[in-house]
Amino acid sequence: MTLGFTVWLTGLSGSGKSTIAGHLAMSIRAAGLPVVILDGDEIRSGLSSDLGFSRPDRDTQVRRVGWICDLLTRNGVVAIAALVSPYEASRAEVRAAIGRCLMVFVEAPIATLKARDTKGLYREADAGRLTDLTGLGDPYEPPAEPDVHCVSDGRETAESCADRILERLRAVGYLADTSVDDERPSSGAGYSPDEEGEVRARLTELGYIE
Amino acid sequence: MDLRAREDGRALSGARPILVIGLDGAEPSLVFDRWRADLPTLDRLIRSGAHARLESTIPAITVPAWASMMSGLDPGQLGFYGFRNRLDRSYDNLAIATAASVKHRRVWDHVSAAGGRVGLVSVPQTYPIRPIDGDVVSCFLTPGPQSEYAHPPSLKAEIEGWIEGEYLVDVPDFRSEDKARILRDIYRMAGQHYEICRRLLGRQRYDFFMTVDMGIDRIQHAFWKYMDPLHPKHEPGHPFANAIHDYYVHVDARIAELLELVPAETIVVVVSDHGAQAMQGGICINEWLVQEGYLAVDSYPETVSRLESVGVTWRDTRAWGEGGYHGRLSLNVAGREPAGVIRADRYEAELADIAARLEAIPDASGQAIGSTAFRPDVIYREVRNVAPDLIVYFGPLTWRSVGSLGLRTVWTFENDIGPDDANHGQHGIFIVHDPERPGGGRLHADQQIYDVAPTLLEWLGQPLPEGLRGRPMELRT
Repeated sequence: MTLGFTVWLTGLSGSGKSTIAGHLAMSIRAAGLPVVILDGDEIRSGLSSDLGFSRPDRDTQVRRVGWICDLLTRNGVVAIAALVSPYEASRAEVRAAIGRCLMVFVEAPIATLKARDTKGLYREADAGRLTDLTGLGDPYEPPAEPDVHCVSDGRETAESCADRILERLRAVGYLADTSVDDERPSSGAGYSPDEEGEVRARLTELGYIE
Repeated sequence: MDLRAREDGRALSGARPILVIGLDGAEPSLVFDRWRADLPTLDRLIRSGAHARLESTIPAITVPAWASMMSGLDPGQLGFYGFRNRLDRSYDNLAIATAASVKHRRVWDHVSAAGGRVGLVSVPQTYPIRPIDGDVVSCFLTPGPQSEYAHPPSLKAEIEGWIEGEYLVDVPDFRSEDKARILRDIYRMAGQHYEICRRLLGRQRYDFFMTVDMGIDRIQHAFWKYMDPLHPKHEPGHPFANAIHDYYVHVDARIAELLELVPAETIVVVVSDHGAQAMQGGICINEWLVQEGYLAVDSYPETVSRLESVGVTWRDTRAWGEGGYHGRLSLNVAGREPAGVIRADRYEAELADIAARLEAIPDASGQAIGSTAFRPDVIYREVRNVAPDLIVYFGPLTWRSVGSLGLRTVWTFENDIGPDDANHGQHGIFIVHDPERPGGGRLHADQQIYDVAPTLLEWLGQPLPEGLRGRPMELRT
């Protein structure tokens, strides 16, 4: 069975995660793969409507979505999570659990977010009516080693960010191994970084490579 | 389409089933001559069929050889040139060529697309598994027993019930001096492998079934010196002197078991991707490049180190190499590599010069060894993706290429780099037994590895794709 994979978009509210997820989903569907978007706002209005914004609740939200992504990935579906997911530890935990997971950091300067403010959250925070907004009242820990780093400051469009994610998906082989008749140049091997290390060590022992 | 439900199981109209038994690295001089009398099954197939030496790809190595054999395309057309290939023109972006790198149909893809039922066990470059109509157990490029190594997924649980212990994707810890343990593991791997084949063939009729035994290659790399008096490290009378012979005999008996399980009209092919020969030692390609002023490093290492961990001064480097059973050389070309120094108009002259100098590297005593530096654009129909500028055979593959730095010599005879008992030979074996068209035991002229896929497709009644490097063999006349 062909395995799926997960693309996990993390970043502050309003940074453009959902927009990038939409572009990404369209391209991946066009390649013939089933895609599910797990959007933070939607999850909070349904599955996680019992959760608030304390650190334990935010971590629970990440673990729930991570569990769904893992389930989808193991069953041949591509999961795209667009979630603030502010804490490195819980992101690392779900990434390790899923395995075939690409971590994408969607960075946006606070000034840009305040100017954009499509949900009005930053105005509310500035007015003192919202005290736990990530990036202002609550902390955000940027990923130490994201697979793709997008900067949403007006210079890179969501489409080009999605293109870079697609390029990375092909480079690691998650997207390239779907069709035998796909004659795009060879890219990755279909391994997670740990698996690639394991196979490379074996091939070195066998004398095939050094 | 559930072909299991078919009454006769024959899905390809008019075609008889084919069983391909691959023996990675099986050496023609051992199978056809030296040990033939001890291999009754192969001898029977040879006597009643046709056989030939099979000229491998350049390079004669598992990847790309099996993919070329099963697609009819050369490595340049396939776009991979060894196990690890540059993905772009940067210096450090390489990836292992798995099934994800194979962008063309192999024989079983044609069979599956035509509605035939396929079985594949341990065929190189079948991981990650692509869904086909049939059963697949992936190859030694599978990360480990925890991976999805079987298709359909339910097959994995069945396999775990068929075999003893954890599934071995390859011989673990191969660079060990504990040869007795390596030998046990080779037999353990073969035991699992043939048991899976027996179970599958025993319950299901396949239009195309292929398996590749990796044990022959592994045992040759680990035990050749005990057998071969001409090996520089030969130890006469060693207890392992017959290890390789005995394993060939063991495999011959396992093949006999598989032949019992296939329909009588099955066409049986036994084939290897390359041969084997004694390894004389290693040529340290990057040491040579440093000494000759082609390669500059930030600081020469105190201990033996991979080039990537040494730190190359790219602005002062014209060429660098990679190690393995053959050598690969890349030039650092301005406008092509990020810090390229060779001007594009000097490329041809530089390439010709370094090729001639590589070919002239003698052995440690100054004797010529007969090396060849191949240009991909000369030996392949096309050159896809990023190929090395030169593919180098040191000697006729009698010396391996050592990529590490820190040895302070061009020649090494130590085995701390990797197993060094055997290197590959350019020719493998090809045996076909067609019960309806006896071949009379004829030894044919050497055949080309690229001709295997078109030959099989013709026997399967499948149209040949355009642009193949190979064409159907003329064996049974």
